[in-house]
Amino acid sequence: MARRKGIVETHSYRTFLIVAAFIFILPIWARPIPGEALHMDIVNLMVLTGIYACAVLGLNLLLGYAGQISLGHAAFFGIGAYTTAILCTRFTWFPTWLGVILGASLAGAIGWLVGKPVLRLKGNYLAMATLGLGEIAFILFSQLKGLTGGTVGMLNIPPLSIFGLKFDTDIKFYYLVWAIVLVIMLLTINLVLSRVGRGLRALHSSEVAADAMGVNTGSYRVKVFVWSAVLAGLGGALFAHFQLYINPESFTFALSILFVTMVVVGGMGDIWGGLVGVVALTFLPSIIQVFPEWIPGIPESLTNFSNYALVLYGLLLIIFMIFLPKGLSYGMERGVAAGRRSAKLLLDRIRAHD
Amino acid sequence: MIYGSATVFTLLLVVTLSIKGSTGLQWIVSGLTVGSIYALVAMGFSVIYSSTRVINFAQGEFSMLGGMLMYTFASKAGVPVPLAFILSVIIVTLLGAGFERLAVHPLRYSSVITVIIVTIGFSIFLRAVAKWIWGSDPVKIASFSGDKPIRFLGAALVPQSFWVFGFTALAVLLVFLFFNRTIVGKGMTAAAANPDAASLVGISTSTSSLIAWTIAAALGAAAGIIIAPIKFAAYSVGTMLGLKGFAAAILGGLGSAPGAVVGGLILGVLETIAAGVFPSGYKDAVAFLILILVLLAWPQGLLGRRQDVMA
Repeated sequence: MARRKGIVETHSYRTFLIVAAFIFILPIWARPIPGEALHMDIVNLMVLTGIYACAVLGLNLLLGYAGQISLGHAAFFGIGAYTTAILCTRFTWFPTWLGVILGASLAGAIGWLVGKPVLRLKGNYLAMATLGLGEIAFILFSQLKGLTGGTVGMLNIPPLSIFGLKFDTDIKFYYLVWAIVLVIMLLTINLVLSRVGRGLRALHSSEVAADAMGVNTGSYRVKVFVWSAVLAGLGGALFAHFQLYINPESFTFALSILFVTMVVVGGMGDIWGGLVGVVALTFLPSIIQVFPEWIPGIPESLTNFSNYALVLYGLLLIIFMIFLPKGLSYGMERGVAAGRRSAKLLLDRIRAHD
Repeated sequence: MIYGSATVFTLLLVVTLSIKGSTGLQWIVSGLTVGSIYALVAMGFSVIYSSTRVINFAQGEFSMLGGMLMYTFASKAGVPVPLAFILSVIIVTLLGAGFERLAVHPLRYSSVITVIIVTIGFSIFLRAVAKWIWGSDPVKIASFSGDKPIRFLGAALVPQSFWVFGFTALAVLLVFLFFNRTIVGKGMTAAAANPDAASLVGISTSTSSLIAWTIAAALGAAAGIIIAPIKFAAYSVGTMLGLKGFAAAILGGLGSAPGAVVGGLILGVLETIAAGVFPSGYKDAVAFLILILVLLAWPQGLLGRRQDVMA
């Protein structure tokens, strides 16, 4: 454990630079793959990945570091999306960037309002309370027809523009979203390595001990919750300006579960793991969709991923929790370490043989 | 607090009856019918929670599966209703027990979040498989004894309501007898109260967890089957039913079987009255508002005790 922490501390910034460089050059070689077999638009998917990453990075802090579960983060994502969508379609002069900021802020404000009382609950009770909040938000999105357009939703949301620069193509949006994600990553790394981060980790391992050591556990929990709500709201607002239309179906319980799945699959409490989880689960549908075309004679019901996407997500959640509770990134790290060990062993044996 | 809420609730019933007359009576009876189902689901939550401290997020899916299997056996294959009922309950119960052994039991030393996520995974899995098997269109299941409504003081009652009331009463009685009159049930009550002390006197907490999941799955499946003729059965009904059952369990006091029944009935009636008074789109919000308010103001619920002992 101590060794692992050391790796995080010394390698975080280096990893950050590598990831940043990779993200910068990705669109240069990644062209949309045409054709029947693998029709995947990498840049487009990466935009969606970045949008989800905003929400997942915050949720990862909440789940992995503060040890608090939320099954209602789709609500904050939705609040961010609807806030900017309503402002920018009602008032055509309204600056879209301000809409995004207000969306994230409103999500944070509501997160604070509900978080303060709700976070007194623990474990199961907190899970159910956040789930209830998420459902109420969904009901409001679909029922406040005058404000949100009901189940039809909101159409004709203007694309994001910042001081005259319009982000109306995938590639422009890509750089914008990932610049935002990288800034959030940097903030998160600093936060995790700071006093606050240590407090959070203490809170996760033992709340009583953390309290006794002078960590204000109640206030820490609310702060992380609000921060994660702001990030989810930000993701939602960007989502609205990227899709250009929204309806309540985008902000259901399933989205809250998707966020939690991304955190779990990537690795709870592992910042880079969170990112791995988002990439894996955003690309998974497109990749799996390809299989039927590679493997001939596969039944019709298997060719449409949406038919069994949730079967797979459900199984993934169960399997990861039982066999790989620390997530993909930790599993990969261990796999690499094991590979190195066995390679070394093999080399030693060969040498001994000589 | 209990007397206070009992007074408020009685007042609400009296006001509804005096303003709305027979329509009000109709609301209350259909509220009690749905409420009985919430009570059964809530009892499933409570049985598992008091034995294992696990909230089973897949509880509602047991009911959904019960209803859908009943559709396959009774409506599609033409199996006689009692046999179809038993078959459906047995299949769901085996699924529940199997899941407990395969996924919950290995995680008995893990954190709450881990177990929550596993049961969520199971619920997503069951729902998706059901959608795959039965499609997304709701299906209709015939009532057990016809659809001719029975007139009572101006209100029309569907005969299925009586099956629901009768079955709920029977299930409550059986659960009560099991936990209070059998040695295994008493052992489980002891294991729920103090797992360490119970293991010291030779009660297996592992068996008790398995039995709890078995009972909960059976209760859930039966609830889903008897309500299916009144409400449509579909792959998607489990989530909402589960959430409302949970709200009922919290309202009555999580871990208390009588609490589950009281919570379920109250929630059912409140919800039906709210649906009559407010736009029907907000009907589902009632349960969640109650859930959150009770959690915040009064987490031990109406009849819950600190130790969360069963029955």
